[in-house]
Amino acid sequence: MIILEKGKVSFFLASRSIIRGNKGITTFTILVMTLIFLQIVLFSSILGGVTVQFNKLMVDYQTGNLVIEPVENEKYIEDTSSLQKKIEGLPEIIGSSARLRSSGVISHQGKEVGTVIYGIDPGDESQVTHLESAMLSGEFISCPDRGEIILGREVSGGYGALMESKSLGGVEVGNTVNVKIEGVNREFRVKGIYSTLYSNTDSSAYINKADMEEILGVKNRANEIAVKTTSDISEEDARMKLLSLGIKEEIRTWHEFAGMLKTIESTLTMLRNAFSAIGLLIAFVIIFVVIYVNIVNKKRQIGVQKAIGIDQKVIVTSFVIQAVLYAFIGITLGYLIMHYIISPYTIVHPLQIAVGPISLILENFEAFSRAALLFLAAVIGSFIPAYNLSKKSLLELIWGK
Amino acid sequence: MENNTKSDVIIETKDVTRIFYMGEVEVKALRGVSLKIKRGEFVAIMGSSGSGKSTFLNQLGLLDIPTSGTVIINSIDTSKMSEKEKGNFRLHNLGYVFQDYALLPELSAIENVCLPLMMQGKSKEEYQRAASAVLISVGLEDRLDQFPSKMSGGQQQRVSIARALAHKPRVLFADEPCANLDSLASKQILELFRKFNKEEDQTIVMVTHEEWHMEYVDRVIRLKDGVLES
Ligand SMILES: Nc1ncnc2c1ncn2[C@@H]1O[C@H](COP(=O)(O)OP(=O)(O)OP(=O)(O)O)[C@@H](O)[C@H]1O
Ligand SMILES: [Mg+2]
Repeated sequence: MIILEKGKVSFFLASRSIIRGNKGITTFTILVMTLIFLQIVLFSSILGGVTVQFNKLMVDYQTGNLVIEPVENEKYIEDTSSLQKKIEGLPEIIGSSARLRSSGVISHQGKEVGTVIYGIDPGDESQVTHLESAMLSGEFISCPDRGEIILGREVSGGYGALMESKSLGGVEVGNTVNVKIEGVNREFRVKGIYSTLYSNTDSSAYINKADMEEILGVKNRANEIAVKTTSDISEEDARMKLLSLGIKEEIRTWHEFAGMLKTIESTLTMLRNAFSAIGLLIAFVIIFVVIYVNIVNKKRQIGVQKAIGIDQKVIVTSFVIQAVLYAFIGITLGYLIMHYIISPYTIVHPLQIAVGPISLILENFEAFSRAALLFLAAVIGSFIPAYNLSKKSLLELIWGK
Repeated sequence: MENNTKSDVIIETKDVTRIFYMGEVEVKALRGVSLKIKRGEFVAIMGSSGSGKSTFLNQLGLLDIPTSGTVIINSIDTSKMSEKEKGNFRLHNLGYVFQDYALLPELSAIENVCLPLMMQGKSKEEYQRAASAVLISVGLEDRLDQFPSKMSGGQQQRVSIARALAHKPRVLFADEPCANLDSLASKQILELFRKFNKEEDQTIVMVTHEEWHMEYVDRVIRLKDGVLES
């Protein structure tokens, strides 16, 4: 009851101060809060955007939505053609690509590159990944053609490869390269060179499945089947559907392959937190200084309030409320700017970075947790100066003695 | 001394001293002042500059703490009070008028007057009624919502008097309330004081150095070098 009464007085003083106080200081303080909030969330949403883009590349160029793998301790999935037929009978499945996968060495004019080589059915692959549209030069392999290979730019070299020195150093479409898989040497004609920006795919090579079957001496088998689902079913649900078909192989969603990314992701998260911490520290100092200056200017007013019997707690609380209101307005503005201007803008005009275009999305959890910390900074940044000042003697506060 | 609240003495000081320490130097602003002020009295404290008038008023008004001696208000020994209790005592029993008005610039006239009443926990209806009544009685009926920065010195001082009197304090303290005003505005302020003193039996203790103010008051207390002049 009494607390409520006192709270009312604090709120009254705070609201009058905001409404009728110096407009310049009010605007400045709110602007500072807005910018600090944006600074903190922008950085973390850039890192968030990188993660999203990385996952998208993986789905688009490697895993599709789901990957079927051999049962434990088996090297191959058997009878893939009937398995694929079964899967593709489901309306939620757009396509599947059964791949043979082997490590191999590709050599050209004395240079060699060790890499992963996939044997694919080009038609099937195009149902699952966008590889076909990632060609920088030449063409994608086609079904009947044998003895042809497409190389990622990290293998061929040139075309802006990121690690040129580890590549074949500039193989061109039409060149012949030697491919050695499990001790078997074959000549392949380079039909195309591609880049997906997804580093795993860009440092691989693809040949026709029939060629690979011949080299490995297998038939109707695969090391993995990548599956593309329609967008209106979740990976988990799609997995359940496949399981209900009686498939005994391992079925994984792409999330499980993001494992490689997890190491990067944890580094990114660490960076993200470190930057947030620095941002918050700066925020705290700025908020403290702005509020401190504002409060010191009101030294005499605080003295007068105290003299006429306003409780010290009420006075301190009024400054804390004021700071929290500034923070609230500033953060709300920042959130709206992020949500209605920056995010939509970067969705239409993504930022171009090494892994491709990214959009800045502000996750609500992120926004709330950063906002909470800013509120804390506002509370501490206002409490300390208000408390220190208001506990001084009346003589000092009113007459400066 | 009588110890009941009906006593006609409202303030009594006993050998009040106040020494300021400025580094090594001691400034003895008050060197033992004992006096009594009666309920309903209008008292002026006079004396030359530096004689200790303001310092003494601050002891009476509980705005400062004496180095030694006691200040008894309404039969209560204030030296035993904590800071918080003093704040509460000031809120309910005392009113202040400062030389430079000391209004809160972000509050309108009526809000300035309402503030102590709000702090007392009065309802909105109560404090608004009381505040406008007292503002009307100081002649500011048409300026209730005006801000201090838009008012003349005399008007601001009247708002400040209204704020000091709105909660019907036992004692009103005023430190040179007319020092920043011309003689016409000063007269209006002194007449207001006299009106509240006569009509409401308001006890007033006012510091002044203008001899012509004497005609408004019941009694003059003269200080010289921190002691009473007799
Ligand atoms: N906070 C302080 N610290 C040090 N000395 C002080 C302080 N306050 C007052 N004094 C000194 O105490 C003495 C009395 O001061 P006070 O302000 O009470 O005088 P006054 O009678 O009100 O003078 P005036 O008419 O100029 O207002 C002066 O010598 C003054 O310098
Ligand atoms: Mg003085």
